[in-house]
This record gives sequence, C-alpha cells and structure tokens, in this order.
Amino acid sequence: MSGGASRLPAPWGAYIDRDRTVRFSFEGREIEGFAGDTIASALAANGIRLLSRSFKYHRPRGSTSMSGDDGGGLVQVGDEPNVLADVREVEPGMTVVGQNYIGSLESDQASILERFKPFLPVGFYYKAFFRPRGIWNYWEKLIRQTAGLGRVDPDTPRRYYDKTYEFCDVAVIGAGPAGLAAAAEAAESGADVLLVEREPDLGGSLAFQRFDPDAFGAERTLCRLRERVAGQSNLRVMTNAVCTGWFADNWLSIISGNRLHKLRARSVVACTGVLEQPPLFRANDLPGIMFGGAAQRLIRSYGVKPGRRAVVFTSSGDGYGVALDLDDSGVDVAAIVDPGSASSGDSLTLAARDRGIRVIQGCAVAEAVPRPDKLNVAAVLVGPVSGSDFIADDRERIDCDLLCVSTATAPAASLLCQAGARLQLSESSGSFEVTSIPPNAFAAGSVNGFFDLDAVIEDGQRAGMSAAHTGDETAPAAVERERGQTRRYWFGTEHPDGLDFVDFDEDVTAHDVCDAIAEGFEDIELLKRYTAMGMGPSQGRQSALGAARLVARVTGRPLSEVGATTSRPPAFPEKFGHLAGRAFKPVRRTALHHRHVELGAQIMTSGLWLRPAYYGPEHARAQLINEEVRAVRTGVGVIDVSTLGGFEIRGPDAAEFLNRMYTLSYHRLRVGRVRYAMVLDDAGVVVDDGVAARLARNHFYVTASTTGAEEMYPALLWRQAQWRLDVDISDVTSSTCAFNLAGPRSRAVLEKLASDIDFSRAAFPYMAVRVGRLGGIPVRVLRIGFVGELGYEIHVPSAQAEALWDTLMEAGDEFGIRPFAVEAQRVLRLEKGHVIVGQDTDGLTNPLEADMGWALGRRKRYYVGKRSIEIAAAKGIARRLVGYRLVGSVGTVPEEGCLVIRRGEIVGRLTSSAWSPTLGRTIGLAYVAPDQAAAGHVFDIKAQDGRMVRAEVAALPFYDPGNTRQGL
Amino acid sequence: MPESDQLSVRPAAFARRSFVYRRLESAGAWFAEIGGAAVAARFGDTASEVETARRLGLADLSPLPRVGFKGAGAMDWLAERGVTIDGSRPNWSWRQGDGSLAIARSNTESLILSNLSGNRYLCDRLESESNEGMEARVYVLPRYDGLFWFALTGSCAVACMAKVCGVDLRPSSFVDGAVAQTSVAGLTTTVVRCDIGIENAFYLLGDSASAEFFWDALLDAMREFRGDAVGLWSLQALQAEVK
Repeated sequence: MSGGASRLPAPWGAYIDRDRTVRFSFEGREIEGFAGDTIASALAANGIRLLSRSFKYHRPRGSTSMSGDDGGGLVQVGDEPNVLADVREVEPGMTVVGQNYIGSLESDQASILERFKPFLPVGFYYKAFFRPRGIWNYWEKLIRQTAGLGRVDPDTPRRYYDKTYEFCDVAVIGAGPAGLAAAAEAAESGADVLLVEREPDLGGSLAFQRFDPDAFGAERTLCRLRERVAGQSNLRVMTNAVCTGWFADNWLSIISGNRLHKLRARSVVACTGVLEQPPLFRANDLPGIMFGGAAQRLIRSYGVKPGRRAVVFTSSGDGYGVALDLDDSGVDVAAIVDPGSASSGDSLTLAARDRGIRVIQGCAVAEAVPRPDKLNVAAVLVGPVSGSDFIADDRERIDCDLLCVSTATAPAASLLCQAGARLQLSESSGSFEVTSIPPNAFAAGSVNGFFDLDAVIEDGQRAGMSAAHTGDETAPAAVERERGQTRRYWFGTEHPDGLDFVDFDEDVTAHDVCDAIAEGFEDIELLKRYTAMGMGPSQGRQSALGAARLVARVTGRPLSEVGATTSRPPAFPEKFGHLAGRAFKPVRRTALHHRHVELGAQIMTSGLWLRPAYYGPEHARAQLINEEVRAVRTGVGVIDVSTLGGFEIRGPDAAEFLNRMYTLSYHRLRVGRVRYAMVLDDAGVVVDDGVAARLARNHFYVTASTTGAEEMYPALLWRQAQWRLDVDISDVTSSTCAFNLAGPRSRAVLEKLASDIDFSRAAFPYMAVRVGRLGGIPVRVLRIGFVGELGYEIHVPSAQAEALWDTLMEAGDEFGIRPFAVEAQRVLRLEKGHVIVGQDTDGLTNPLEADMGWALGRRKRYYVGKRSIEIAAAKGIARRLVGYRLVGSVGTVPEEGCLVIRRGEIVGRLTSSAWSPTLGRTIGLAYVAPDQAAAGHVFDIKAQDGRMVRAEVAALPFYDPGNTRQGL
Repeated sequence: MPESDQLSVRPAAFARRSFVYRRLESAGAWFAEIGGAAVAARFGDTASEVETARRLGLADLSPLPRVGFKGAGAMDWLAERGVTIDGSRPNWSWRQGDGSLAIARSNTESLILSNLSGNRYLCDRLESESNEGMEARVYVLPRYDGLFWFALTGSCAVACMAKVCGVDLRPSSFVDGAVAQTSVAGLTTTVVRCDIGIENAFYLLGDSASAEFFWDALLDAMREFRGDAVGLWSLQALQAEVK
C-alpha cells in the first residue's frame, strides 16, 4: 500500500492526505509517507520504530508518546538537530538521520557502553575525572566528543524567525474536550478568546482516544464542540501552536512555526490534559513499547497499524479502549494485562471481553524480552501481582511485537506550575494532583482531575465561564463538581536484574535512584540534580511521577510529603531563533547619507548614526585623509555634522538655565553671539560639550557632541525637573541637519549664493550666529572653528538639507570644494589642539586635567560640578592633558591608548595620535604627570609593539597658534 | 493639471524631500507635487492599489505639512485659535474641520497634521502666530523635519503592527483617535489610530533620521500579509468613499 506497508485504509488517518505522497530519506533509505504524516508516523508505516540512541548507554529508542512528550523521538533533519520526529511533519526531500550513535543506527558501536554500566553509576561524573591532578584535560576531550545528541552545523544559514504580540481576555491552552468547552463558554460569555492547540487539529483526546464501545461518541462530541467554537466570531484558534511558558501577569509564550507569539491574557484556562507514564519493569524502554495513546494516535490520526501482535498493559478502562482500537485495526491482541484484581465493569472493559480478547486480571508485566538484535520487543513476561506494585516470580511469556502501556497518567501541569500552582502526590490515586491555582488562572478537564467525558466538558464550561468573568464581582461563581471515584494507578517495582528505567532521557534506572537515595539524596530536588533525572529533552514529563513514587517507597515517606520538582519555562523545546526573533537594529542616517555614498564614502558607525569616515577606496585611506585635510587648509571643504545634538532652550529663564547647566556664563551673551558650552556632572567630570547660540533674549540653540547628544537631552530634562525654571527644552537633533563649510575660501562659496545674510568679516564675525535664508532655504549659520579655519556651521531643516548641500557643492565647484569626513576632521582639530570629549577625556576627567580651565566660569556662583572642581583644584590634579610630538626618527608610530611610562610606572596614556599632513609629523594628545606637562619636556611612550618611543610636550595649538585663520 | 504632468515631477526637483524618497523611487513611485514637495501618488494602477490599501498598505505622508507646539500654555493657545484639542486628555487625537488632525502627546505638547490633501493653511497659520505665542509659553517644534509620517492601512494593519509593536492595537482596545507613544520595530514612535474612510489606519511618526530603517522594517513585516507600498491617491480614494 502506498505510504508504507503498515498503512491502514481510510477512514483511519484523519491527519494525512492520501492524495499527496511525500518522499524523504531516513538513514539514507527512501521513505514514502503522506502529507500530514509526522516523521515518526511515516517511519512507523514503513515498519521503522528505531529512531535514535539513548544519551548514556546508547540503547535503541523510538517514540513512546507520538506526541512529542518523550525524548525518544529526537532525530536530525538536515542541519537541524534534536527534531521531535513525532511532531515534525514530513516534507518532500527532507534528509532525516538518527542521533547519538557511532557506526550505524541499527548497529551502534557505542552501545558497548551498556556493558560498563557497573562502572558508570549514577553521579559517577561527580566522583571521577579529577584524579590524578590534570587528568581532566584528557577526559574533557573524550566527554565533549561523546556528549550531546544531535550535531550543530556552525555553517547553518541564518533563518527567518520573528515575534508577534497577541492580546485576549481569555487564553485557553489545549483544545481537547475541556479546552473546546471552556473556549466556547468564555466566548459565548462575551470574552475575546484565544484557543491554543499543539496538534494540527482540534479535539485533543477526542481525536484519537476511544471513549465508548462503538467509538462514535467521541466523534459526535467533537463535532458538537467544534460547531460551538466555530460559531464564535470572538474566538480565535491557533493550531500547531505550543505554549512554552506562563509568566507573571498571564504573559504566555507560544511558538508556532518560526514565530514566537507573546500573548497577554486577562485570564488563562489550562486544559492541558494528562500525560501517560511508563510503568517500571525490566527493559521498559525497548522500541515497540509505547503508550496506549501513542498507538491510538498512529491508528486514528495517521492510519498506521502500530504492530502485528500486541499486549496491552493497563490499569484503567482506557487500556481496554486501546485494545479495541488495536483489534479494529487488525492487530492481533494477544492479551490485556490488568493488575487490578477485579474487572472494573465499565463499557470498554465489557466490550473487550465480549470480543473474546484474553484479559489477564491481577497480573502485571515484569519484563520485556528483546529481539535478538535488541531493537524491538519480542515478548513480555507477565506475573501475578503480589502486594502493592510487586510481581510474583511465576511468569508467563507472551510473544508480541507491540506492548501498549496505559497504567498511569500525570497531569500535564508544567504550565500551571510555572504560573504558581503546585503539584501534590495523592495517596488515593498514586499520581499528582494540581493544587493552589493562582487567581486569574484556571485548570479544567483531566489536568484538573476529571476523566469522565461529560465531567470533563462540564468542568471546561465551568472554567471558561469563570475566566470570562474574571474581575466581574457581580458574576455568579461557577461551582466545581465532585470528581467522583479516583483512579488507582499501577506503577510497578524495580527489577532485580535492572534495566528498569525511570528516566529514558538520561538512562536512569530504578536502581540508580535507590543508590542515590542511599547516598542521602532523598529530597526530590537533590535527587533530580544528582541523577540528572528530568533534566533531559522531555524535562521529566515521564519521569517525575516515577521518581517521586520510588522515593516514597524507598524512604517510607507518605506520597503527600514527597512533592515534585520545580517546573520552569520552557515547558517544551524552544530554539534560540525563537528567542532571538527578528533583530531590530535601528540606524540613523543623516539627510545627506546617500550623497556621501554616491561620493564613495566609507561609512562608519557612531552610536546609531552612520557617518562617512573618508571619501574614496579603502586602500587609499591615508592618502585620502591627507588630501581632505589639505583641501580644508588651503581651499574649502565641507563636512556633514548633522549627527551633532541640537536643543532649543526657550523661555524667560533660558539664560539662567544655561548658566547653571554649562560652565561658562550666558547671561550676558549678546543675541547673535555664540559661546562654547561645556557640561560637567556633579563630580566635576567633563560629560559633553558643544556651543550655545543666542538667537533671542529668551531663546538659545545649543549643540551637543554626536556621542553625547542622546544622553544630554534627558540630562537637561532631569536638571529642569529639579530647578523648575520657566524654560522649555526641545530636542531638535533630527529636525536639523548641519554641515560645516571650512577653509579660507568658504566665505567665497557662501557669497555666491543668494542670501539675506551678510557673510562679510565685519558683519559676521567669529563666534557669531545669523538666521536667514541661503539659496532660498531657511538656515542658522554659526561661525565657529573646530578645525581651525574660517568656517561656517550651517544648520538647515533636515528635509531640505540635501537640496542645500547640492547647491553648496555646485557653488563651491569653482573653488575646488571637497567633502571631508570624520577622519580628516579628527586630524584637523588635533592640529588645532581641540579636545574631543569622550576620546581625549574619560569617565574621570575634570576640566583642569584636560587643560580646559579656561572654559570654567570662575566668577559664576554656580554651575553643575563647580563644587567638585573647586575641591579638585584645591587637592591638585594627578595628570594633565598635553600636546606632544615624537622625537627623533621613529620606527613605530604609537597608537591611541598607548601608555606613558616613567621609571617603569604608568603615568598616562595617549588619547589622540595622528599624522599631520600640515605639519609633516606625527602629533597627539596625551595624559602625563603634572610635572611632565611643561612644553619641551620629554617623556616615554610604550608603543603597541612594546618598543619605547620618545615624545616631547608641545605647546598647543600645533597649528596657527595666533588663531588668525579662524578669524579671517 | 493633467495627470501625466502631475506625475512627471521628481522629488529632487524640490528643496523639501521625503526622508524615504529614494526607496519610493526604487519601488517605481509616481510622484505628484503637494505644497512644494513631491509625494508618492501611486505605484501602479490606483484601483488595485486601493485594494492593497484595504488589505495592508504603507504610504509615505512625510511631504505633507505638520507642526508641533509645546509649553505650559500650548493647549489653551491652540484652543483660542480654533483648534479642537484637550490638554487634559493626553494620548488622544481630534479631527479638525478641514480634516487635519490635532494630537495631544501630553498635556503640554501637541502635534498638528495636515489633511490628506496636504492643505497647509492650519499649520502655516499656527506656525506664523507662534512667535507671539512665545510670551504665552508656547514653543513651536519643527516636526515637519524631525518626524517621518507614514500611514499603515487596511484590515491586516493590526496584525502587522503586532509583529513590531507590543501595544494592544486591536480595534476594541485602541479605538479611532487613540494615540500611543511606544516602541515600534525598536524605534520610538507615535502611533495614532486614524481610520481612513471605513478602513483601519495607523499614522506612524518617528525619528526622521531612522525613516529608511523603519520603512524597510515595516515592508518586511507586511510581506506575509501581501502588503505593499501605496500612494497617497489610494488613501484619498478610501477617504472619498465615505464623503
């Protein structure tokens, strides 16, 4: 039959599309499945149950749950490791291989490790590998080679993941009978509801489990609930969506495909059902042993006959339903093994007996017998139950290739526990019960202890209504019905010959647990950490109950005292891609950015800004920077300085605000004039600088450095919040573009353009500001000289900046105008001895150290940091920023950051270092000891290659000491 | 003016240029002049573009006039000049008689957006009078240059925004007129629910220096909904449907 030899005819297989064949490879073998198949179901249809190897002993593993709840079905798909084979849908051409084996999956050379089991007891890694001293280096390599499951390919291409935010009144997790009823009820009550379901379709257990002998009841119930859900416009459904975390204030993380949904819900209803639990018996981990629900999923969801001859091991009516399904699908049911001493008398039990299926009452499976190749179960040994969970030695062998176990369940309460609920072991059921459910959270259905279908639906409705009315004190309180008779689960006992696994992920046996308890690790949390139980891929979903019951039995403590380990997110696997999502990395471009790119600029980042570093190819960097410097010194250049911060300070107290905030005095600054503006913090440390232009009596325009602008605005607002002056502060950084036209011919360029501003020396002196139009575009022009030449800083509305740039470049063409960029500006200002805050200062630099005492208003009564400066001045400074030039012929030019050394001690460092094309030598700024600061003093620098280089303190500025050029 | 002449304009022919005009040109926009700037009028057939706008469209309205006012007296000053705005209700917006929009960003800061025709009368009038407002503690803010202005329209706009913004923008929670100042695609953004005709629409205003980043981020988020850039004309067509 197409789609695999074990494929059942329709109508079995609700999820598969038999018209769409999907071919993929597993372990190099071509496999044929159908669209809608999972990898595991398609393989099962082709008779393959062995999917991977276990973590420690490399025992053969297959899926036991067919729902992604166990760690046995992890496979490698292409470059993606640890894929849940029983969840991932098959795709044409996908390449699937097993994991964690050496050689071949079927003949794993590393399975020899099982023979060394006596030498690898639980916790052996805490006791080994550290003696003799240094041996760890050997073991570490070996362990790293064998550790892990799948293989990560570092060259895996980047994939697209993203995130989205969701909101709803009521979130219902799980679309089984309780979830459907809860969602419908909440929606009918008017709430905006989101129903989240892991499976591809709605229904939960209704989609695969048998609730009655004729098997139609579930379908009828599902149809009815589906109609209720579909009829609600305020109810959204997400299928194939896994809720992985439940955080504070009902913030849920839900993964669907490559997307992480961040859901905020007013209230949440958990209808997450129960998880089947493995009983203890020897070789209980063999492929061919699966939960009853897994067999039913194979039959009903995927149309796969799960085996040829089966034994069903059950302690409830559910297992009898499994036997009926197996029988219906053509599997020879050899026996139902029921540890109960008497028939329960429910309809499924009676139906199974009526069909003549052999029921072995009062017996339990004591051992699974593997095939000679050890890759599947071949038979089970069944013995009579002797006391609670013990099996007598009188064993019957029953041959089978499939063992379905339905002996115990535990509430799937990981999410509820993350929200604050607690798990408690019940003496009556022998399983966990959910208690202490927090406000605005609800549990319904089997996770809440209801198993009868009608009761489950009624409980769902109760929870849905309560959730919808969360916060509504006038709403009638919904009453939870009595749970009725509780189930008593079979757990089994440790086998004298071992291989009785409690945790399949980590190959932890009952004997391991007993040994750990004997060593004193009887607290369930300590036991988990010592044995690694519950720390594997399935995160204890199938081991927590077994571990807790073993602890109770071995220690003799009551079940209610044992407790459960802490549930933490994620409840189900998440990928780093999901957590990272789509990276939003905002960048800021000046309005002239594209002009720079067109001019061949090398773009650098400065905070979020993209700025040109220099114009031209990278290989000619030094030459290009020198040419840009020369253009400014000899002709005219223009640089984009739009990244400078810009603030409007307006209001009657504007001058007073500046006077307090900045170190110089601004009360008497005349309208139309510009003054340097330096900001200190309370400790007197230089934090930023710029200029303040007085545009009107009560209006200043203040600039800030590129790197300091973002912090300056909140700093200004913070001070204003304290001082409460009558002033308004606005950040206009992005509203305004600025470019600095600099060089002896800059005035000539401006005078070519139509303007209402008189650019003559007399009318527009140094450190003045004018407002007008240039080339028809509104501008503020500041005559300042950071680069030490005649210069005009033109501030223009951003949206019109490109047009003005184009006009300027055209006008400057006849004067040889050349754009210059950050690197050239650094050289130009260094030649002029100007400090860059943040480069030539650090987080401790005060103005006295930076030789900027001239920028302190000594007659001012107050400015931020003044008191600290006075203390620093009285105390004396420990370093001084000076200009230097290298002495003699220098093989190595020391870079910024190199240390100043005196008698083997560090006394300072270089903050700026560059070749000056104007001066024809390397110059820089450096911190030296105060007694080294006099011009002409020679000091030593340890260059980046370790060589010592001599430098001489030089008077600043290096260039144009008379400051004649900027005042032209 | 015939349509062909209107659409012969190029953004670089004007001093004022949209922050994303290169993106629009690359996408094949046809531009029309509005108030001394080129606005992307359409990208293809207007009728099909209207359908895109109904589903999910992104329009650049940056060339349309806008201005901000700030200060202790700003709201009263605006009200005295006939602007419907209530400083006691921050994060809300009011449609004006001419179709422009007044947004209260706080109880002392407002933002005036022109209507979709780009009528600049209100913005110009208020700005020209703002000098006298200085004495009344009213300070003009150059939002025309500092903020990009995009419109995200259509039935998928809420779902698309959910990919880039953590605020609950569902119609039931974020009704027409509501304003949120929040992070969108990692960028501080003012989000205004301002339905156009019967269609959901959000005005998005943020740092003009990051306009291209934001435009690209939104188009990327829109892809799964088959959303695309649309011209101003399609928005005007949506608006005209209810007149």
